[in-house]
Amino acid sequence: MALRAAILRHVRVPLQASPKLQPWNGSIRSMSSHDDHLTKEEVVDRVLSVVKDFPKVDPSKVTPEVHFQKDLGLDSLDNVEIVMALEEEFKLEIPDKEADKIDSCHLAIEYISNHPMAG
Amino acid sequence: MGGTKVQRLSGMQKQVLSLYRGFLRVARSKSEEERRNIESVVNQEFRRNSKEVDRKNFQYIEYLLRRGNKQLDQLRNPGTIGLSSLQIDFLKIN
Amino acid sequence: MASTILKRAITNISSTSSTSRLILLRAHASEAQAQQVTPKATSTTTLKKFQIYRWNPDTPSKPELKEYEINLKECGPMVLDALIKIKNDIDPSLTFRRSCREGICGSCAMNIDGCNGLACLTKIPSENSNTTITPLPHMFVVKDLVVDMTNFYNQYKSIEPWLKRKNPPEEKGKEILQSKKDRAKLDGMYECILCACCSTSCPSYWWNPESYLGPAALLHANRWISDSRDEFTKERLEAINDEFKLYRCHTILNCARACPKGLNPGKQIAHIKSSQPKA
Repeated sequence: MALRAAILRHVRVPLQASPKLQPWNGSIRSMSSHDDHLTKEEVVDRVLSVVKDFPKVDPSKVTPEVHFQKDLGLDSLDNVEIVMALEEEFKLEIPDKEADKIDSCHLAIEYISNHPMAG
Repeated sequence: MGGTKVQRLSGMQKQVLSLYRGFLRVARSKSEEERRNIESVVNQEFRRNSKEVDRKNFQYIEYLLRRGNKQLDQLRNPGTIGLSSLQIDFLKIN
Repeated sequence: MASTILKRAITNISSTSSTSRLILLRAHASEAQAQQVTPKATSTTTLKKFQIYRWNPDTPSKPELKEYEINLKECGPMVLDALIKIKNDIDPSLTFRRSCREGICGSCAMNIDGCNGLACLTKIPSENSNTTITPLPHMFVVKDLVVDMTNFYNQYKSIEPWLKRKNPPEEKGKEILQSKKDRAKLDGMYECILCACCSTSCPSYWWNPESYLGPAALLHANRWISDSRDEFTKERLEAINDEFKLYRCHTILNCARACPKGLNPGKQIAHIKSSQPKA
């Protein structure tokens, strides 16, 4: 049988010339409207485009009502990945308790449009 | 876990998903290259275990959760820049 | 396995080389009494069975007690010697921690016939009965007899086991002196090797392993509370003056019974309790 052992790599040289990128700056965002409140349409569009971009998803099946596991054939690990992708898209950190509940585009749109910090 | 049927998550399943989320979160804090690497190693590990581990073997799943959380703690240390994995074939060794 | 050992022992005896005869002779001399009861052929074999807890995370199955039989005449006197012999001769996959083999590193703490102790300081119980060896009780098992000590070490860390000062030493760069009397106050505590025998024998610790600090960490807390050079005594007392951290000790005193170094953590905990300001 095969065992995969994970090994952590550490910094050997503590010198670092350039400061590390902030995690949020790494991703390219389609829109930047931090000051204005997001419109519902904007949230819907962006949620759908994140879900459509997910590798295992058939983009033609994605609608604002679609359920990740029932309709798109995803499993709970994929679900976590999608919610994480949404977090990045909207610059949010969704607590575990809430994240576990988001299992459809509908709930994702609802949660994000009600979130005061979504950008 | 998961599958196409939707079911309410057990406490242990929630812990597994939370651990997975934790790994994906900490990956964001590393360099872009390492981030992709961590995501792929962690993804493979979780996928493999979700297929191979008997879902009723709670003792073993709890063990994996403890091991995973410990690795996650180490990965959270800013001094840890990345994650590597080894493939050991026990059949060849023995 | 047992039969192969027996066979080897018997061939040893029947061989007529001078060395084997010499060994035989010595055995006669030191065990004249045993010689009368047991027949000649078995005088170099004293078989004993060990039942050892086995669990390997790489082949997920339920833990089991596996039986091993060894010849005590070919083995050192301590339980650790038996474990090493089993690992060398019978089953190299048997996993346990060990290092110094003289009771100073605390690595080989385990449960031997129901009592926590260091395998290197525990004599192999008489050959008449089987001996059962299991990991420290109520600890998460990593593999076989190896347990996860993370929580235990974190609790030790939480009591800040280092000298803390408010004022710099009188002479810069010089050590802070301590009278012989003050130094003597640390006796009974500085000897602790953090083997976890005491904490894992404590029923209170079993029920509240995360919130109750346990005898080992509390003994060390008192070691720094009692140190004349430490200037954070009050803060240290305050930090552990907690219903769970400290007062889950109900003076059961399993700790004192288990300690392989002969210390009494229960007494040190009592000292912490009595040093707390009266409400």
